Amino acid sequence: MQKYFDVAVIGAGHAGCEAANAVAKMGFKTLLLTLNYNNIAFMPCNPSIGGPGKGHLIREIDALGGIIGRITDQAHIQMRALNTKKGPAVRALRAQTDKHLYQETMRKHLEKQPLIIMRQGEVTALERTKDLWRLILDTGVSYEAAAVIIATGTFLRGRVHIGSLSYSSGPQGQHPSIALAENLEAQGIKFKRFKTGTPARVRKRSIDFSKMIEQPGDWLEHGFSYWLPWQPRTPVSCWLTYTNERTHQIIRDNLHLAALYSGAITGIGTRYCPSIEGKVVNFPDKERHQVFIEPEGLNTDEMYVAGLSTSLPEAVQDEFLRTVPGLEQVEIVRPGYAIEYDVVAPEQLSTSLQLRSCPGLFTAGQINGTSGYEEAAAQGLIAGINAGRYLSGEDPFVLGRNEAYIGVLVDDLITKENNEPYRVMTSRAEYRLSLRQENADLRLTEYGYKLKLITDQEYEAFLQKKARIQEKLRFLEENYLSPNSPEAIRLQEETGVALQQKTSLQQILKMPEIKLSLLWKILDQERSPGEEDDVLENMVKYQGYLEREEKMAERLLKTEAKKIPPDFDYDAVPNLSMEAREKLVKFRPETIGQASRISGVSPADLTTLLIWMTRNNQP
Amino acid sequence: MKEMSELDTIAAISTPPGEGGIGIIRISGAEAARIGAQILRHPSGKRITSWPERQVRLGLVLSPEGTVIDEVIYFLFKKGRSYTGEELLEIQGHGGYQNLKKILNAAIKAGARLAEPGEFTKRAFLNGRLDLVQAEAVIDLIRAKTDLAHQVALTQLRGELSAVVQELEDQLFEILVPIEAALDYPEDDIPPLVREQTANKITVICRRLEELLANADQGIILREAATVVLAGRPNVGKSSLLNRLLGEERVIVTPIPGTTRDFVAETIDLDGVPARLIDTAGLRESDDLVEKAGVERTKEIMKEANLILVVLDAGEELTPAEEEMVINSKHKPLIVLNKTDLPAVLTEEELKGKFPAAQVLSVSAKTGAGLTALKAAIREVLIGRRDFEEHPVLVTRLRHKEALEEALAYLRSVVQGLSRQQSEDLLAIDLRAALEALGRITGRAVSEEIIDRIFAQFCLGK
Repeated sequence: MQKYFDVAVIGAGHAGCEAANAVAKMGFKTLLLTLNYNNIAFMPCNPSIGGPGKGHLIREIDALGGIIGRITDQAHIQMRALNTKKGPAVRALRAQTDKHLYQETMRKHLEKQPLIIMRQGEVTALERTKDLWRLILDTGVSYEAAAVIIATGTFLRGRVHIGSLSYSSGPQGQHPSIALAENLEAQGIKFKRFKTGTPARVRKRSIDFSKMIEQPGDWLEHGFSYWLPWQPRTPVSCWLTYTNERTHQIIRDNLHLAALYSGAITGIGTRYCPSIEGKVVNFPDKERHQVFIEPEGLNTDEMYVAGLSTSLPEAVQDEFLRTVPGLEQVEIVRPGYAIEYDVVAPEQLSTSLQLRSCPGLFTAGQINGTSGYEEAAAQGLIAGINAGRYLSGEDPFVLGRNEAYIGVLVDDLITKENNEPYRVMTSRAEYRLSLRQENADLRLTEYGYKLKLITDQEYEAFLQKKARIQEKLRFLEENYLSPNSPEAIRLQEETGVALQQKTSLQQILKMPEIKLSLLWKILDQERSPGEEDDVLENMVKYQGYLEREEKMAERLLKTEAKKIPPDFDYDAVPNLSMEAREKLVKFRPETIGQASRISGVSPADLTTLLIWMTRNNQP
Repeated sequence: MKEMSELDTIAAISTPPGEGGIGIIRISGAEAARIGAQILRHPSGKRITSWPERQVRLGLVLSPEGTVIDEVIYFLFKKGRSYTGEELLEIQGHGGYQNLKKILNAAIKAGARLAEPGEFTKRAFLNGRLDLVQAEAVIDLIRAKTDLAHQVALTQLRGELSAVVQELEDQLFEILVPIEAALDYPEDDIPPLVREQTANKITVICRRLEELLANADQGIILREAATVVLAGRPNVGKSSLLNRLLGEERVIVTPIPGTTRDFVAETIDLDGVPARLIDTAGLRESDDLVEKAGVERTKEIMKEANLILVVLDAGEELTPAEEEMVINSKHKPLIVLNKTDLPAVLTEEELKGKFPAAQVLSVSAKTGAGLTALKAAIREVLIGRRDFEEHPVLVTRLRHKEALEEALAYLRSVVQGLSRQQSEDLLAIDLRAALEALGRITGRAVSEEIIDRIFAQFCLGK
């Protein structure tokens, strides 16, 4: 039995799989431990991946050489393009997946990686021995690794609540991880308690779909991954129905039985995944709430009831579900539940996702207080990359807020008091128009290649794509239409736009009425494959806005360039407000930029800090 | 504030201007005692060798030429124990402004640098004696130049501009939040954007911003003082006109930092409106390097001026250079025809005929004739006939004006975008940019508030 690894990853969920894959690709021997080999890449919540912000993350992970995009493409049963009319910044893909196929595809992918060894086993303790970490399992077996990534999701001291029923458990009846939480706490790692929840799963044949609105998928020309040939599947539909006043009345009448309202739960829930009891209480005027019925997979009768996450007793769940049109005869397969779990207080993390007090110990995913598979995968990738860089003595890989949603996510995590599970949103991104889903490879693949996560072959394809875009851009810049040319006349026929003078194609494309596809049609030019035309069109059309974001980013980079030493003595700086001093000592920002985003640190405090640093010749 | 060497020892008159019983000069920095030793003497005329801390002593101040300027009392604070946190010498002299200026001059000749406005407070802040908010409050108090400016500052202090801007921010949030919510939750029930109605709402906000901006220049003049330049050939009587204007008004502020060698600048109170008068006397085209630099600076000051007074001599013919001066003055030129007590060669009628756009005022610096009318005219050009009580909310800082202008530009772009079917993500970018700009006045953090409002207003998430 192999006992020594470069990196050990604890937990094979969405963060752990991504982390192990990255570390192995960088050339390190990797141990991936899971509590249950059947549950690798298990999706305990809805069978959906992507959406605004989240879909952007998937694209970025894929552009850097991560795997969630490829696996999703292979396991999808429906793909939708969202926000198609709301502008390039927020266009996003969302997939419904077959959960079982997803797990199987991920497991097979990881099993094929020569440097990954995947094993079942529960880590009960971590011990620091000189430069190594020893992982001690419940069976008494132990391993050694130079770096460890903890990606335990909601398992640390997990506790499930269904009405008054409450027991120690991981998600969906899995074994919780208690000993490890106690061991980490004993080593000084601070935890806080979060809560999340999931709705009941119901039997498909008990549903009357004729009372619901069908939500078909789209036939799209591309999936998430930049690298896999896209193989669309016949979309499987989801179904929309609504709650009503009767549903709400039952929930209100039984509120005292809900674990969330009876006082049984102390963990903090998120606004981003509210329970139905929370919705009814917080929005009493809303007459109905959406309910989406989503298939858990192709080869199962289980359906996911999105929108009705709950901690009410099973009997009450059964009663309120039956008030929803189409669910009158519904049969529950598994009840919904709320789960409480330990998360690492975020101020202990550095931008590399390493615990500041424990060299070589990284955390990623829900343990860091996020919600969502996508957020978890993004952190898994970053923790994996940085564990690798830690081993080779290189500086951490940090993405800026202007470069990627991943950068926004990590920065938010380490600078914000997280009072609820964190969800990525496009409204959190200051550079939203620059961080588009279709240009993630242009933003990030260069990094992925340098990090050895992108293969030579993939990189070659990327360079070719870039060259094609450049060439077309030049074509648009260098070619003109004259007012009375046949093309200009066609343009006027199609759009009503009459050219007054000789105008470059680039200028024409900037007009709001003109689409690139139309321009190609008029010019009898071939469209480019995939999303290449989208990239081109957005670059040209939104040049002004993009330049504005670039200028903003320059200012950001200046503040990020001002580093604060890790052992900086804030007590030596006179005049910092009490609150700022406390927060700065707690979060230990690595740059002035980060400091500026910590709540409670005012511009006045920053000025004070900057002046002090300048006067005392800090770099 | 300009970056200045914080190693210099600085000096300034610290008491309010005007005739008072006593006036205070403070000298702060490592050299304070050394400078004191150079300009102060025992009443007996002997040099001072010991500087016991915080002990009040009687002494004489000597001019650079060695004559006695004033009999004073003085005392020294050691480093770390003064207002600024530095070694600080305080000299209390007799209150006349000219007298205090002589003492200050002596200190500057002895090696002190004239303090920038607020620099003592800046040092106090840097040395941990004040926090930034206190420091800013002190600076504003120091800078309130006239009663009217003081009133406006008080209005600001009560946060009225901030309150108005916050109200506009709230209205913008109400527009932006449903847009943002729908962008992040495309599959939830969120009312769709009604473009025309939204454009109307934003137009109303734009109008309010325009109103605020309409008074901004005047507000800034009230807070910062207007710059009025006296231009004209040598010997047309600029200096005597300046003295006349100053003589009748209380003098408020000392020379402009950085330009002290070239210009004399004094601030007068024109019925509540502070105006800094700058005399460009003695400056002409020259081969002298020092003077050349002075000419450059004159041009700079003329460019920044709120008003240029072109002073002409009624006893002499108009020269081509003077004609050019009138034509080139960027604002509506105000021509001051001086020496009207002498036999007239140049008349008001002639000038009015020649420069129909210009306002011409006849004065005599010698007799004082026409000065009241001149002051009224200057005030009117600077702030119009506005009665400020009608406009309680005034923008008085350039920083605020710029923020409002920026917000207005973004909002105009939103209105245009709404009618041109611009996509919601871009509309949101401009709305956010407008809010960020306004946030520079009110200190509101836009991003966090958007997210909080999204979830307070809409029931989202599966």
